Amino acid sequence: MNKHLTAAGAALALISPFLAWTWTPLYPGDLTLYGYPGGSQLVTLVCALTATALLAAPRLAPAGAVRALRAASLAALTTTWVTVVAIAVDLGGVVNLEPGAWLAAGSTALLAVGAHRLPDDTLDPPRPVPRLPRWAEVLVITAVFVLAMYVLTYGITTGSPEEFLAFLPAALFLGRALTVSGLGAALGALTARNRTATAVAALAAALVFPFTQSDGQYTAIADNILIFAAVALGLNIVVGLVGLLDLGYVAFLGTGAYTAALVSGSSFSTLDIGPLPFWATALLGMAVSLVAGIVIGAPTLRLHGDYLAIVTLGFGEIFRITVNNLDGSSGPSLTNGPNGINSVPDINVLGFDFGAEHHILGVEFGRFANYYLLLLAVIALVVFLYSRVGDSRIGRAWIALREDEKAATAMGIEGFRFKLLAFAMGASLAGLAGTVMAHLQTNAVPDNYKFADTAPPNSAFLLAAVVLGGMGTVSGPLVGAALLYLIPAKFEFFSKYQMMLFGLALVVMMIYRPEGLIPDRKRQLEFHEEAVTT
Amino acid sequence: MTATELTQLLADGLILGSMYGLIAVGYTMVYGILQIINFAHGEIYMLGGFGALFVYAWVPGLRAIPLWAALPVLLVVAVAVSVAAATGAERFAYRPLRGAPRLAPLISAIGLSLFLQQVVFNFFTLPGSSMGVTAPVPFPQFETAPLDLAGVQVSVAGLLTLALAAFGMVALTWFVRRTRTGRAMQATAQDPATARLMGIDTDRIIVIAFAIGAALAAVACVTQGLRLGTVSYNMGFITGLKGFTAAVLGGIGNIQGAMAGGVVLGLAESLASGALPHIDALAMFSGSVWKDVWAFVILIVVLLIRPQGLFGERVADRA
Repeated sequence: MNKHLTAAGAALALISPFLAWTWTPLYPGDLTLYGYPGGSQLVTLVCALTATALLAAPRLAPAGAVRALRAASLAALTTTWVTVVAIAVDLGGVVNLEPGAWLAAGSTALLAVGAHRLPDDTLDPPRPVPRLPRWAEVLVITAVFVLAMYVLTYGITTGSPEEFLAFLPAALFLGRALTVSGLGAALGALTARNRTATAVAALAAALVFPFTQSDGQYTAIADNILIFAAVALGLNIVVGLVGLLDLGYVAFLGTGAYTAALVSGSSFSTLDIGPLPFWATALLGMAVSLVAGIVIGAPTLRLHGDYLAIVTLGFGEIFRITVNNLDGSSGPSLTNGPNGINSVPDINVLGFDFGAEHHILGVEFGRFANYYLLLLAVIALVVFLYSRVGDSRIGRAWIALREDEKAATAMGIEGFRFKLLAFAMGASLAGLAGTVMAHLQTNAVPDNYKFADTAPPNSAFLLAAVVLGGMGTVSGPLVGAALLYLIPAKFEFFSKYQMMLFGLALVVMMIYRPEGLIPDRKRQLEFHEEAVTT
Repeated sequence: MTATELTQLLADGLILGSMYGLIAVGYTMVYGILQIINFAHGEIYMLGGFGALFVYAWVPGLRAIPLWAALPVLLVVAVAVSVAAATGAERFAYRPLRGAPRLAPLISAIGLSLFLQQVVFNFFTLPGSSMGVTAPVPFPQFETAPLDLAGVQVSVAGLLTLALAAFGMVALTWFVRRTRTGRAMQATAQDPATARLMGIDTDRIIVIAFAIGAALAAVACVTQGLRLGTVSYNMGFITGLKGFTAAVLGGIGNIQGAMAGGVVLGLAESLASGALPHIDALAMFSGSVWKDVWAFVILIVVLLIRPQGLFGERVADRA
């Protein structure tokens, strides 16, 4: 009975995107056509397809299909209702809804109710997933990354807050469906078996993005996400692997940016140096941030971890005050105070001008696409370092220190040395990202490097990206950074209350899901074990 | 620099420092018991000032009487608001995380701190203006001219700060040393597990520690408002940082040390902005904008050479 109810809901939900939901193309995405799903209807269609697939072939889900089906039905329900309500609100009344919209709203409700009344069939342990031949595994990995990139691209390129609001819950619930179905774990095992192929596929999928963009508008957003993600990944070494809370991380980014701007040959630079070649700038930016990291870290890392948190918080603020006042009148002349260093020229590597347009394979590469490629390289470097160091003796020492410092020290791990290494490494990676950021934004100004602000990167958002995504994983901070960049960027009209909700979200997250959206397995156990013993 | 100028700087520093000390006590008490930094303490402090301002602005009778007569009401309201916020914070943001890995309460505290700041930013309203505060808001002022003590100018608000800080410290010391609850607090700070076995309700002690810290911070914020003439929604951030610095200077966990640390920090800050112009090499870094930087440098130096604090009692690191 419930199965039929669910099936009917799914079938009707599949049909509804092919109908008109409203009568006027004024609503973003043009939902007026019969036979051609458009805009947010596509999201409903994808959710309904997922639900149908789970219903028709429950064996697809190794850990049991019903919980995944519930998540997919919630994805369909939330996205459809967001769109339907948004149509009614935007156009001023429910009269603007065509029958297709009523059908969509009703069928997704039916689907959700039906799915939640099905008996739970969770398998523990999950069914073993058959091993595929190697070429097929690589193919699957590639397909998954292309799909992930497509989802992200859709999120970035949504043209209106309504469409993004319809996309977000669908993406989150479908992500949950992936996890509870056991497919997430199966994919994890698959990527762990083919690590090189995974890295290549991820990079290739990311490389495709600028080819799909005709103008720079969305590539610029992608660039900002990449900078944010690169810095969040660097912070993830410090916070996620070693468990050191760095609240002034953005100051190291700023240190790198200011260093790069000063030696860039900009006419606003107070130093008569440069332009240095980019490799020298990058190394210099890393070196200066490294020194700053050691100066801050050396006195504090010997003490209880909380001291580090407050000292880095102070450092972040002091950095901003300092660059704000090194303007020649209230302090020595170095940074032009609040105006910052502007007109930082574009990077030029071996004659390749990042500011100019290039044609590769017949596709036009604008300025933002060039920087996109450079930032991908930076991220690849950070991820490479992260995974290589994380798996080495040093990484194991870090994790041991994070889990139990006393026990680790008793085992002969020199806590201070390893912590300082991590802290300095994190600082220099942020410095590297900063050098690129100065060139991409063509300036270095104090207000970009605050503790908390409505737009990333700032220290609070960086920390939140790591925490929200999942500490100690590679994909966690990437997802966290993308979400935390897109949410404020797409909901600008809401900016007044953004920081308030952001603060509240941090508290709620810590209480209910401290391990983040994509938890590190080890870390999840750590949180839950603690919860059980106390 | 003349002797009078120097005395003036020292007097200013002492007043500023005693305010820092009042804030530092809150950090030190919570840290002494729970080993967590209450990041939201700066915002608890800020809420006290806004609570007082709210009553003063909305209750017409208060503006009709002289400020010194209204002051007790302002202080009581400020303390009530801060204590309510602090105990609420303890209940909803910290207690659920007791026993979680130590990163969790810190992050929760940061979230709470942003939240409280933004609540004031978005919703604090004065009569006749729209909702929300973006700029510093005027705080009621004493009209009396500063007192002239042998050439040294001390404002009424400054004297009031000193008096309240002194009274607060004496009362707190008496409370911690002489009362049953105070001794229970000491026991909890030394060893919570054993304290619980001895029949002490440690949850209650923790709430009291939060409340006392909040009350002193609220008093500090009212005096700050009276001295400077404004309060702003983000004043708690840097002042909270200074309060923590003072607590570290005094040796974290040491209540008298916190006050002493506050005074040392206040004196250092006052001298940094007043005396440095007379030193050629550092004159460039002497303006009032640099005083926060100097406070931070002091924190780093103290952590480097004397991490247990100037009057260090405990090098707190209990597993």
